[in-house]
Amino acid sequence: MAVQWPLLIFSVLLGASSGVLVFLGIGEIKGCFKRVRFPLALIALVLLAVGGCASALHLGHIDRALYILGNVSSGLSKELFAVGFTGIMTLVYVILSRKDYPSATRVFGLLAALGGLVLPLVAGASYMMPARPAWDSIALPLMYLGTGLGMGFVLAAAYVHFKGDEADEPFALKLALAGVLASAVVTLIYVVWVAVAPYPDPTRSLVRLAAGDLAPAFWLGVVLIGVMAPVVLMGLVWKRGGDAGASSKDAPVVAAVDGGGAAAAAPAAAGKVSVTTALWATLACLVVGSVVLRVIMYLVATSVEQLIY
Amino acid sequence: MIRHTMAIDLDSCIGCHSCAVVCKQENNVGLGTFYSKVLTIGPNGTYPDLEMYYLPVACQHCENPQCVSVCPTGASYKRDDGVVLVDHSKCVGCQYCVMACPYGVRTYDEAKDKGVIEKCTLCAHLIDDGKDPACVRHCPGQARIFGDADDPESKVSKMIAAKTTHKLTDVGNKPSVTFGLDKCEWKGGE
Repeated sequence: MAVQWPLLIFSVLLGASSGVLVFLGIGEIKGCFKRVRFPLALIALVLLAVGGCASALHLGHIDRALYILGNVSSGLSKELFAVGFTGIMTLVYVILSRKDYPSATRVFGLLAALGGLVLPLVAGASYMMPARPAWDSIALPLMYLGTGLGMGFVLAAAYVHFKGDEADEPFALKLALAGVLASAVVTLIYVVWVAVAPYPDPTRSLVRLAAGDLAPAFWLGVVLIGVMAPVVLMGLVWKRGGDAGASSKDAPVVAAVDGGGAAAAAPAAAGKVSVTTALWATLACLVVGSVVLRVIMYLVATSVEQLIY
Repeated sequence: MIRHTMAIDLDSCIGCHSCAVVCKQENNVGLGTFYSKVLTIGPNGTYPDLEMYYLPVACQHCENPQCVSVCPTGASYKRDDGVVLVDHSKCVGCQYCVMACPYGVRTYDEAKDKGVIEKCTLCAHLIDDGKDPACVRHCPGQARIFGDADDPESKVSKMIAAKTTHKLTDVGNKPSVTFGLDKCEWKGGE
């Protein structure tokens, strides 16, 4: 199947948005990130809105977009409902985070986080179709959720280091590390699924990923930039934070990365960079990895019998 | 209750592509778009024991059509007589049905009726008028047989009973089109 770029952009942006919302939701539970919750919630809302607009470009008839609510058993209808719920909860959360209603802010922060947790799963589940074996697994919605948590958590942690309270930084760093690990794990799970999916075919096989026409994208984009570079960068940031007793936005990070693609993807290889810069670099790697993984996701989504098209 | 279906006797199909051509003519199918095509399967085997057959393919008008269940607007629907259709006035062109179809027989039309999904209609406009689909009427080998699958006395039921029959790969969608093939080894699906 050809890469559906509007849907791909939508899924990456909604993933990042959802990750930010879950990050803020955890912050509401723990009572932290108060200084950054307004700008971060606003960023999440903008990401979701831009993603939604991108997905509308996929439609042949944008003028009939609301017809999509016509069959609630369809995955796409559920996705639109989930986007609507998350968008409204986030909008209210954005407004309340500027006001002095602590309880209401917390409730809507948690509701937005719930939306952020459910939305990637619903979006990913809408692709689960028996006709496309490479998609027909819970591994796909998990991939959407995990990569979203990775991007969102790192984005939020970078912002906390950029503009937030210093006291929040260690916890933000923990969440960013958890997000990067979640992203790596779900990527691995999805690749395993492609390898073991039913109705095996060379067009949707591990051989195509590892040594076929998709090998450059897979090894460079997914493995090196999408998984290894973020893990290495976060490992270094974490090590530096641990050595210092607490992370600091000005603390240097010795980036003794592997000298390969990871180094190319992260300016950290040049020597010392700040934790904040390392987090932004990690985010960039995660975004590239998520985009390439989704490109591969579309390209391996051949149907069980391609007869006419 | 009538359950319209089609059976294709592959032993009688000569691969002339008349069905594909007359389908385009009858349904005004746009350039680059096909409701129906004829595939060549083979040659298979080792010389001199080779065999080959033709496989006419189109929408299988499945009993459990995945295209209908994923359609967010209800534009893709199945009639009581088993024919799966697309209501173009409701179609948003999201292409989820194209993704959900196991056979790659639906397409997003950018030519004739821009921005909607096109597929074989089993010539619903003709069968509602008591006629056979165009591909059935114009098949020179009389390989295509159309009728009521629930009537044991119908031509289609008798053909299905008389031949070794096959269906395309079933991933839970239960394709309704039956292929009869006795003279060659079936090379795909069920």
